[in-house]
Amino acid sequence: MSKSEEYDVLVIGGGISGVEASLNLANQGHKVLVVEKDLSVGGKMIHLSKVFPTLDCSACITTPKVSEAARHSNITIYTYSQVNDIDKKAEHDFRASITKFPRYVDEESCTGCQVCEDKCPVVVQDQYQYDLVGRKAAYVPFSIANPRIAAIDIENCSLCGACERACPADCIDFTQEKQDIEIKVKSVIVATGFKLFDPTLIPRYGFGLFKNVVTSMQMERQLVPTRPFNNVLRPKDGKMPDNIAYVLCAGSRDETVGNPICSQVCCMYSIKQAQLLLGALPMADVTIYYLNIRSFGKGFNEFYQQAKDMGVTFVKGKIGKVEELEGGDLKLRYEDIEQGVVKEANHDMVVLSVGILANDGVTSLFKQNLELDQFNYVNQKDLLANPAQTNIGGVYVAGTASGPMDIPDSILSAGAASSETAGYLRGGNHEK
Amino acid sequence: MGKTIDIIKKKREVPQEVKDNIKAFTKIKKQILKTLETEPKSVPQIAKEIDLAQDIVTYHLMTLQKFGSVEVDDIDDMDEYYLYKLKK
Repeated sequence: MSKSEEYDVLVIGGGISGVEASLNLANQGHKVLVVEKDLSVGGKMIHLSKVFPTLDCSACITTPKVSEAARHSNITIYTYSQVNDIDKKAEHDFRASITKFPRYVDEESCTGCQVCEDKCPVVVQDQYQYDLVGRKAAYVPFSIANPRIAAIDIENCSLCGACERACPADCIDFTQEKQDIEIKVKSVIVATGFKLFDPTLIPRYGFGLFKNVVTSMQMERQLVPTRPFNNVLRPKDGKMPDNIAYVLCAGSRDETVGNPICSQVCCMYSIKQAQLLLGALPMADVTIYYLNIRSFGKGFNEFYQQAKDMGVTFVKGKIGKVEELEGGDLKLRYEDIEQGVVKEANHDMVVLSVGILANDGVTSLFKQNLELDQFNYVNQKDLLANPAQTNIGGVYVAGTASGPMDIPDSILSAGAASSETAGYLRGGNHEK
Repeated sequence: MGKTIDIIKKKREVPQEVKDNIKAFTKIKKQILKTLETEPKSVPQIAKEIDLAQDIVTYHLMTLQKFGSVEVDDIDDMDEYYLYKLKK
């Protein structure tokens, strides 16, 4: 079944940039459609513990924004949906096809009561807790998801029907099928965000093999109130770590893995996590192995100094190899860059500060060939005067789809994208 | 709304892997809950008792804690390992 709809702006991606740009445009009276591939809007930011350097609660900043967007009369949000293709017919005339995948739950009647979750016998790894703990096949994605309604993971469903029998609102519907929607819009904002570097591509760090080597997102989840464990614990044996190492530039500034650029945020989020760890585990030692600390933003250097003052150890060193010792501790072999010697140090947990990579598949959405830069981010053809402008007139880029950046910069970028889009909708700024 | 599960059952088959996963989880769940019947225990204690890798026990124990079968009791004398008990 296919239906047709019309909006002023299509925003691809419901992360903080997409939501911010949508709110700006909707508040000016434009009709906006946000298409989000995940079950919830909020992107990566909604899963973070605190933001740097202010240590404000990340979810507390994200959730009011996504709630406002979800309730806004000028904004329509399609979650668990994807944009298949976009064709620019003329200025202010884009046609796009969208597929809305079935949740097997009626979105209007589900109250998010989680009775289905309770009854579901299936347990699979919870992607929202970065596989540290399990989730059910019938599940509410996470406690602050928006929309906070259930979905059935049909690939892992045992088709037992327990959820449907138990649902008090009678909202489980296994007859749902994917829905194709054709839309007409006047402008497009690409806010597709980033993906995290896969640390298994650097086998010498031992991620996947040694369970006490975790990614920074796994540690981030351990530091939020809705954490997977009851405290910060080692995934291997549930021990409270007391000597944690951070390995910076894991997948960034590394030509051998195809990502020679700095990810902009790893230094600061690692310093943030180190400070939070000292709060969660007051007896713990935290060591950060770095190449250069890039504390370039407002208040960043003070934040770095604050971490030093709190007792975080900084070692200018490049990690060569991580080995597992008996009992699950880890031996780091590294080059001490300042002394020019190879050293070894033991830690009981290692956090890989994984970098940011461009998301795949953005350019193939557009019939008019959206240009990418050499690192596969959306190319900003006029970075200083029109930072959101892409090579296609009427198509703008917001947030980390254009390159690695932190949250304030993403929000600024979204502001630029919405301003330039508003200008285009008023009839100006045509690019051929 | 009628029961729609019967409709999808005619269209889809449950993969063997899904069935195996359910069996494996249910087996480990029973083992963990049984060991906790006597007294609160830590991950290494449970792993040793049911002869299972510690990381698998951690994953399943934390999942059981998430879904309310198990809760944290106390921490051991060395302040290293939490003990877990059955949730009453």
